[in-house]
Amino acid sequence: MRAILAGILLVAPHLAAAPKIDFNRDIRPILSDRCFACHGPDDGKRMANLRLDTREGAFAERKGYAIVKPGDARASRLFERIATDKPALRMPPAHSAATPALSAEQVELIRRWIDEGAAWGTHWAYTPPTRPALPRVQRENRVRNPIDAFVLARLEQEGVEPSPAADKATLLRRVSFDLTGLPPSPEELDAFLRDRSDDAYEKAVERLLLSPHYGERMAMQWLDLARYADTHGYHIDSHRDMWHWRDWLISVFNRNLPFDRFTVEQLAGDLLPEPSQEQLIATGFNRNHMINFEGGAIPEEYHAEYVADRVEVTSTVWMGMTMGCARCHDHKYDPIRQKDFYSFFAFFNTVPEKGLDGRTGNAEPFLQLPSYAQKQRLDEVTRLLKQKEEAFPEKEVEAAMAEWEKQRLDTLPAPPRDGLLAHYELDATLADTSGHYRHGRAVRGEVVFGGGIAGGSASLSGETHASFPSAAPIATDKPFTIAFWNRAAGKPIEQVILHKVEDAATRRGFEFGQDEFIPLPELKRGVRFFFRLTHRSPDSAISLRTRERFFSGDWHHAAIVYDGSGRAAGVQLYLNGKLREVEVLADSLSGPVESAAPLETGNKQIASPYKGNLDDYRFYGRVLAPAEIEQLAVHEPIRVALYSGGKRSKEEQDRLRAYFLERDAPEHLRAAHAELLELRAEKKALDRDIPTTMVMAEMEKPRDTFVLMRGDYRSHGEKVTPEVPAALPPLPAGAPRNRLGLAQWLVDPRHPLTARVAVNRYWEMYFGTGLVETSEDFGSQGAPPSHPELLDWLATEFVRTGWDVKAMQRLIVTSATYRQASRVTPQLLERDPRNRLLARGPRFRLPAEVVRDNALAVSGLLNSQLGGPSVFPYQPPNVWEEIAYGDVFSAQTYSQSHGADLYRRSLYTFWKRTAPPPAMMTFDAPDREKCTARRSRTNTPLQALVLLNDPTYVEAARALAGGMIHHGGRDPGQRIRYAYKRVLARAPHSKEVQVLRDLAERQQAEYRKSPELARDLLGVGETEADRGVRPDELAAWTVVASTILNLDEAISKE
Amino acid sequence: MHPADEFQQTLTRRHFFGRTATGLGMAALASLFQRDASAATAGLDGLPHFAPKAKRVIFLHQSGGPSHIELFDYKPQLGKLHGQELPDSVRRGQRITGMTSGQSTFPVVAPIYKFRQHGQSGTWLSELIPYHGKIVDDIAIVKTVHTDAINHDPAITFIQSGSQQPGRPSLGSWVSYGLGTENENLPAFVVFVSQTSGLNIDQPLFSRLWGAGFLPSNYQGVQFRSGGDPVLYLSDPPGISRDGRRRMLDSLESLNRMRHDAFGDPEIETRIGQYEMAFRMQTSVPELMDLSKEPESTFELYGPDSRKPGTYAFHCLMARRLAERGVRFIQLYKRGWDQHGDLPRDLALQCQATDQPSAALVMDLKQRGLLDDTLVVWGGEFGRTIYCQGKLTATNYGRDHHPRCFTMWMAGGGVKPGLVMGQTDDHSYNIVEDPVHVHDLQATILHSLGIDHTRLTYKFQGRWFRLTDVHGEVVKKMLA
Repeated sequence: MRAILAGILLVAPHLAAAPKIDFNRDIRPILSDRCFACHGPDDGKRMANLRLDTREGAFAERKGYAIVKPGDARASRLFERIATDKPALRMPPAHSAATPALSAEQVELIRRWIDEGAAWGTHWAYTPPTRPALPRVQRENRVRNPIDAFVLARLEQEGVEPSPAADKATLLRRVSFDLTGLPPSPEELDAFLRDRSDDAYEKAVERLLLSPHYGERMAMQWLDLARYADTHGYHIDSHRDMWHWRDWLISVFNRNLPFDRFTVEQLAGDLLPEPSQEQLIATGFNRNHMINFEGGAIPEEYHAEYVADRVEVTSTVWMGMTMGCARCHDHKYDPIRQKDFYSFFAFFNTVPEKGLDGRTGNAEPFLQLPSYAQKQRLDEVTRLLKQKEEAFPEKEVEAAMAEWEKQRLDTLPAPPRDGLLAHYELDATLADTSGHYRHGRAVRGEVVFGGGIAGGSASLSGETHASFPSAAPIATDKPFTIAFWNRAAGKPIEQVILHKVEDAATRRGFEFGQDEFIPLPELKRGVRFFFRLTHRSPDSAISLRTRERFFSGDWHHAAIVYDGSGRAAGVQLYLNGKLREVEVLADSLSGPVESAAPLETGNKQIASPYKGNLDDYRFYGRVLAPAEIEQLAVHEPIRVALYSGGKRSKEEQDRLRAYFLERDAPEHLRAAHAELLELRAEKKALDRDIPTTMVMAEMEKPRDTFVLMRGDYRSHGEKVTPEVPAALPPLPAGAPRNRLGLAQWLVDPRHPLTARVAVNRYWEMYFGTGLVETSEDFGSQGAPPSHPELLDWLATEFVRTGWDVKAMQRLIVTSATYRQASRVTPQLLERDPRNRLLARGPRFRLPAEVVRDNALAVSGLLNSQLGGPSVFPYQPPNVWEEIAYGDVFSAQTYSQSHGADLYRRSLYTFWKRTAPPPAMMTFDAPDREKCTARRSRTNTPLQALVLLNDPTYVEAARALAGGMIHHGGRDPGQRIRYAYKRVLARAPHSKEVQVLRDLAERQQAEYRKSPELARDLLGVGETEADRGVRPDELAAWTVVASTILNLDEAISKE
Repeated sequence: MHPADEFQQTLTRRHFFGRTATGLGMAALASLFQRDASAATAGLDGLPHFAPKAKRVIFLHQSGGPSHIELFDYKPQLGKLHGQELPDSVRRGQRITGMTSGQSTFPVVAPIYKFRQHGQSGTWLSELIPYHGKIVDDIAIVKTVHTDAINHDPAITFIQSGSQQPGRPSLGSWVSYGLGTENENLPAFVVFVSQTSGLNIDQPLFSRLWGAGFLPSNYQGVQFRSGGDPVLYLSDPPGISRDGRRRMLDSLESLNRMRHDAFGDPEIETRIGQYEMAFRMQTSVPELMDLSKEPESTFELYGPDSRKPGTYAFHCLMARRLAERGVRFIQLYKRGWDQHGDLPRDLALQCQATDQPSAALVMDLKQRGLLDDTLVVWGGEFGRTIYCQGKLTATNYGRDHHPRCFTMWMAGGGVKPGLVMGQTDDHSYNIVEDPVHVHDLQATILHSLGIDHTRLTYKFQGRWFRLTDVHGEVVKKMLA
């Protein structure tokens, strides 16, 4: 059933009009799909030594019989074996499950082909296009440009009537979406409708081609092809910065860089003579692939993946070739040998890159993009640093430090013990070593001991609850000092590190902790420390926190000093030995803070458990002097490290060295060290501040390339050099044998594929389906073109105009073919359901990005700023966090943008590959892990949920409702007319008005009755609701606006 | 997509539209394949290929690589080898990860935990998983699964999609593409990511693991979440009452219908149907997630965590509820099995969180008569090395990734109960008998669903792709 229908569909239209079999159209696809897997180009797997992909193979004289005997199917073994009713002999064999059987129609086609003489031809796509003559058509008045001649000729041949031109408004909306991804504004629409000149439409097209949003629209398609994203993709999937490349892309579309230069710059901009910065940025195209740094992964394995990805992407994007199929063995269908794959691979194998990279952003090689001043300073600092590092007296430091270590232990004072009421070293136990024997214990979970800062430290899992009886005998009227080391892991939320709290309600006692993370560029996990001393929460307490933020993943020494005054002014917070400025949040303590509660960490009744480390907790019943605190924070770790003698960890050794060079070393060494630190800090800051973008480059000494047997990076076969596939034309004479030569080869007018593939992709953007439906595969297994001559004419025209991209868009959208109405009549639906004959205009759902951009635009929320770093619009909570690794790496927690960045166009949305923007995915956007040449177009309930409930669309509806009320005045009909014009570029019919009026009335009745509902609805989104309108009215019209935004028509291009 | 397949797909989609082919006319039907399949409700014609044993799958993926050595692959003689260097004759130069390749020694570590026998089958199990003792006679344990990858990203991508590199459809999306769903009010392929329970969250996950790859995107798994909306964007926004939503949808439908009448595009008709299904999901999903009608005995069976949204126990219970509702493929992910260090402590925590619920799910399905036509699969992406990673002490050690053999189990859906299959060598390092490659496992899962893994194909970039690439043999020995 399935194959029969397919046969009819594919063939029936041709049968009527063109009785003679066309080999490339009718026969080759059958042979390719059903025979080549075993009788095709793959030398390794060929059965019966028979190949049917070449003329020689098919017509070879075998012993006593012919495979194909032209003119006589009955005497042809090919026909015999496919037509036999003996299952054991029938081809393709039944056990070859991946190769479906031939239908009766296909068998019949092959019979006719042989009987008609078995004409053979090479695969159409490997023959360079020649410019066909324009066909004659009867109704020349319907031809606006050559495209129409080809389309009309076919329609006349088929006896199908083309559709009338779309009405002006529909057409303007269609072409605005197609050329800019945005709807026309009411003003643009009015101006266009008013313009009655013959070339009104052409003028509108010109305006759109000049819009900066044209570049954004064109970039959208290319971003899928280029697998552009803002993260690395593999495993931890942290961030990268490739938006400079994305912005380059938009800008070159806007300035209409010819496609040949566009190609050369992306593939080989770095190899051009004296490349500009832009040309270097352009090469980021082939660095957009995924990059890995999973611990334990093997660099060679991933390096091979990166290079293979470049081969696959480059061949798919420019040639519509599935070269990836030849990675492990010869191609099954197309004339690409495994050796061809690796010879192509060799072009991309000589980048100075690492197999594992990208932990902290861009992977090598990357280009720094400094301002002039940054550049000057960076050069200077780099030069100075090199000079100072070379001059640093390393030997002298070693000798002096060895001497110092011997005697310094004796001179370092032990920490004060005066007033020490509790002390937990936390090296390996919870024992109290102050002499008071108030040992701590784990109440729940386990305390694990590991490396610390003063000896070992206690590690708390985030599930552990530990308790220390009487370890913090605080009282409102008594001075005390609490001192300890802490280092937090995980959790971007407020964490109480230590607390002594009587009960969760009054919170009597004290709490010390850190507030929620703020992801700052240089301090990804920036936190403020807080201290609360409470009698009764919230009205009787002292509460303060540091002004400064600290990196939460580092060790910090905290000391809280309290003078017994009961006032905030009597509390001092020291971090790392230094007194810190604080913000006082409450200063209302009015009663006792003492209780019998133990000192605790992780009591879930009181606070969410602390995840991190604790070390060397001390409680003193007095105020410690600044010098004493410094002793705890600065000298004590050194004392402990010196004690541990030869068994020091590297961390301890580094700490000792830093201490020595900062404090005790001879003056000249201290100065030299300080200078180095300063220069390093400055260089680090410059490197951090200077934006970068990944680029292609060539190694000084290129890597060798080998055929990888079965695609396995460990199995080297034959050594190969850069070469293009043998079945395609050779590199142009004089072209260098590198990426530059490769790019020149691709855009050589004699290349059979590049121009065809490019124009087909444009066609697909407008009509939903390419002239070659399989726009990613022009090979033997791809679909034959619906209009082969039109495809070739467009391809040659593209080359003839100097690869003028804008001219090609103009040509397509000004054709009468494009300008047809898209209404689907029952006759057309029956005759040509898929519109492959192009007897009507395109109608299909907008791409994911445009669905959202449209809602933002029609509601007036859109921020049309071009380019810049990616942004973080509304996203439901935990989409990233639920699958991410934790906060040690970037792009693990989603920090939503605020203000204008919420309303940027969707191509600027930060794209995390392992958790892409969910609403975009719901509308068929790809995850961008790999090159996507064609998106699927689905229609699902999840899409309905997004449009109904995503705050993006609820807020847009509210903003649109504001516009309806503002522009429509009191008259509901006017309001609806405004929205229809804005969203659908047309006027509503009276029935439509009636439906929406009724809805508005009934909603307003509900909201009048339940004003809190109205308030809730109007509270969705960050923009303020219009205060000039009654809430119940605005809410009711928000529902009406939402209904309009949910119409199938609203998200479709008609 | 190949035109033949597209056409075929549209034929099956007529069920969704509730129209017969004659009613809509062949040409109109044909028009539906202008876009890809809109609704995943119906499967492909001709599927299942043969009578299925299982109608659905619950895949309990234990991410990180559970140690087969501590849990299932009992080697009484290992104590004698403890502390000894792993012989080269065992390792045979096989590649190991960059995390241990630099180690100067590879001492064998015997598991610190004890084993004992359970059930009529007398299956040896670790003391860490006592609840598994109650199901050993219902499950088939395979000790000889092996994989090609040695690191998390490629290994988990491999077991979930048949390829180490991204880009292929996941197992669940293949199944929902092939078989569609039995419940039109819930997605065919549902995914849960459980909270971590150990000290260690390793490793991250990727949405590609339940992605549709090159299949149309409606076959991707729908993640059910613990906080906020169980399905993204499921709830009406604040300020929209249920009545209000119904009114709005009624208005929307009548407007869409007017447009359809005027414009004739069948796509509009489809969209009307999708809005109705969305409305039904707004009821069916909360009803699914609502445990208030579950008896006390349920929570006793799955353990106290099963009341807490987001836990593995909660998700195991959800899996049963989804199975009851005819959801085709239910995928769980439990992270935290990556014990490079502190294995004794962290593995115990991990087992604490998973042992009871995993076993409870099998028992619960069985007592409800659902186990016969539900296939439950338990396992990670690889096992762990017999040699120690890091420092070996009397009470502490770690193990690196081990792809050469690891243990998984399956239950129900035609799998032989009480089976323990496969033999590894004395070091639990190489397979001696009955190797089961990941592709074999995938072939077997599809087989249980009545699918010939060589015939569930999709043409992409000119090639007929399948889950098992060009490999995979159904493991007949596992089947009853």
